[in-house]
Amino acid sequence: MMKMLSRNTPVLAVLLVAAASFAQNQVVLKTKLPPPLFVGTPVPLNVTNLEPPTKGKRPDFMVPEGTLNLARNKKVTASDDNPDVGTLDMIVDGDKDGNEGSWVELGPGKQWVQIDLAKRANVYAILIWHFHSQARVYRDVAVQVSDDPTFRSGVTTIFNNDFHNELGLGAGKDLNYIETYQGKLIDAKGVKGRYVRLYSNGNTSNKLNHYIEVEVWGKPAV
Amino acid sequence: MGQAGRLNPPNWARWAAFLLVALLGLLLRLPQLGARPMHTDEAVNAYIVGQLLAGETYTYDPQDRHGPALAGFALPLVRLQGAKAFSDLTESQLRLTTVLAGTVTILLFGAAVEMFGFVACLIAALLFAAAPLPVYYDRYFIHESLFIAATFGLILSGWSACARRSAKLAVLAAACAALMLACKETAVLHFAALSVAALLYWLWNLRRKSPSDLWRPRTLLAAGLVFLLLSLALFTWFGTNWSALAALLHAVPNAFARAGGEGHQKPLWYFAQLLTGGWSGGIICALACIGFFQCARKREPSPYGFLSFYALLTAVIYSLIPYKTPWLALSFWLPITLFAGLAMESLWHVPEKYAALRIAAPACCILLGAVSAALIAHDTRLRVFVHPADETNPYAYAQTTEDLLGLPAEIANLAQQEGLTSPRIGVIASDPWPLPWYLRHFTQVGFWQPGQQVGEADFYITSAEAADQYADQLREFRPDFFGVRPGVLILLWSPAPK
Repeated sequence: MMKMLSRNTPVLAVLLVAAASFAQNQVVLKTKLPPPLFVGTPVPLNVTNLEPPTKGKRPDFMVPEGTLNLARNKKVTASDDNPDVGTLDMIVDGDKDGNEGSWVELGPGKQWVQIDLAKRANVYAILIWHFHSQARVYRDVAVQVSDDPTFRSGVTTIFNNDFHNELGLGAGKDLNYIETYQGKLIDAKGVKGRYVRLYSNGNTSNKLNHYIEVEVWGKPAV
Repeated sequence: MGQAGRLNPPNWARWAAFLLVALLGLLLRLPQLGARPMHTDEAVNAYIVGQLLAGETYTYDPQDRHGPALAGFALPLVRLQGAKAFSDLTESQLRLTTVLAGTVTILLFGAAVEMFGFVACLIAALLFAAAPLPVYYDRYFIHESLFIAATFGLILSGWSACARRSAKLAVLAAACAALMLACKETAVLHFAALSVAALLYWLWNLRRKSPSDLWRPRTLLAAGLVFLLLSLALFTWFGTNWSALAALLHAVPNAFARAGGEGHQKPLWYFAQLLTGGWSGGIICALACIGFFQCARKREPSPYGFLSFYALLTAVIYSLIPYKTPWLALSFWLPITLFAGLAMESLWHVPEKYAALRIAAPACCILLGAVSAALIAHDTRLRVFVHPADETNPYAYAQTTEDLLGLPAEIANLAQQEGLTSPRIGVIASDPWPLPWYLRHFTQVGFWQPGQQVGEADFYITSAEAADQYADQLREFRPDFFGVRPGVLILLWSPAPK
């Protein structure tokens, strides 16, 4: 045993140094949260198959040092070119307020918005605020990352709670969630891509689709 | 406006005009009658009709259910349309009752011509027929439309009974008052407002007349008896349920307790804001204010004086009570439309006093009428037909969301996939409404309060609050959210895929 350890000491040392270095470079993702607009509808706790509600502040999410919100003021396109309320640039303007005037409203049914990050990037986290002035669930939320602006090839799906496969992207296994002022944080696990596409299919209050803000946290790919 | 200057067409022409307006009102109220999701209050009323269809007797519940009049009128109407059970009922079948009540109110303006004049009544009838607020709430299966028709009936027959000293009309007024009470307990507020308005009007204009000049004691007695007997007959469901009398004693204290708000508290100016909202609200209310102040300035002993006192009193009472829902604003539409009609009629007659305006005044009237008609058409289209259930529509109050319409379809679909012909559905929620309406086509539905032991079921529907208490029972189920009302969610739990 001792012999084996002494033989592999250099390898272990390298691994330890790498792990320590990796740990040092991890920092807490810090985003500015908007003020809450409703004291949450009580949601179920400790129930299988349902995303536990965020009680108080969301647990810290670690990202590599130097990670930035790459979506800020970037070009946004959508399946609905002519939103009923607001403009597409509001999705990346940094305004996360839940009041009227801060959201863009896309037409009824299945819709998507797409953010062009301008360069290929490693994406670590995506934060989405659809609507947070009342308890609401957006249906069939899916998020994909790709280098192809048409999303026909090289597509990685990082979130999908469309378990009926209404969107036709394949049945999702992620959980439904109630919108809150803290936004929905999706772990993108460093996936590489230039374009981020977000889908939804109406919500529990009406058939429309809303976005207040989307943040894509990542680093330009080397 | 003096009687001499008024246009008085022959009876046949008068009724032909009002029938046409009523027909217009009916045509505006009928399209897409079943499109808007059932509000919780509508679902409760529908359930009561369903109980009556099943042969049960009506049981008056002073807590939240109001009186028996709506169900009493709806029952024969839904039977005529072929409904035999709760599950047969449709939104359109039920809402036809209130559509007809609204149409009757429009026709009643024809009977009000002796009181308020032909032109003012015709304009008022047109406003009632087409304006967004009355069109919207006449398509709502709640007591309000019937209540307004009965109130208008009471005002017209009560006034005429005094003017003509007619016993028959006094009895008719008493019947209308009983119908009001059998609609809503808030009738007592209107009785109080009408009584004080009558007293003020008498003090203002008729002090030289003794009350006995207006009513004979025997007439009063007959009217009182009719009111009592008809109220008894309706509340006890024609003598089949006498416990209603004890419940009725609790009705007014209950209503006063609820007046505090119970989650429906609104500011003092809520109704003013609601009535003047939209593109047309401001113009109609401005006209009504002109008519009101014109009437106050003249101080003539006309029925408009009485109407002014009544309007002012109801406005003060309803505004002071913290509990406010938008359909209560329908009560204000009778005086608003009549005063707006009076203002338009007066504008038309301005050249009689000021000859220089003989072209300008009628032209102004025509322009105002055309602009008002266009604005009313715009608002009615948007609020009644395009966005009837939208949160931005001020009339859609605590409205059931369209999302809930997908719930029964989803259960039926999942049941079919599971090979269940008659799925067992367990609903766990402290306030399950309007789910009994939306689950009426399923034969095995049980309702439980959170905390109760719940039986085995193929599907569960829980409020978000209740789900936590049944974690073990729901372990093998997959949840899906559905919106009930804005900000209110429920969960449908279906068997999780293996």
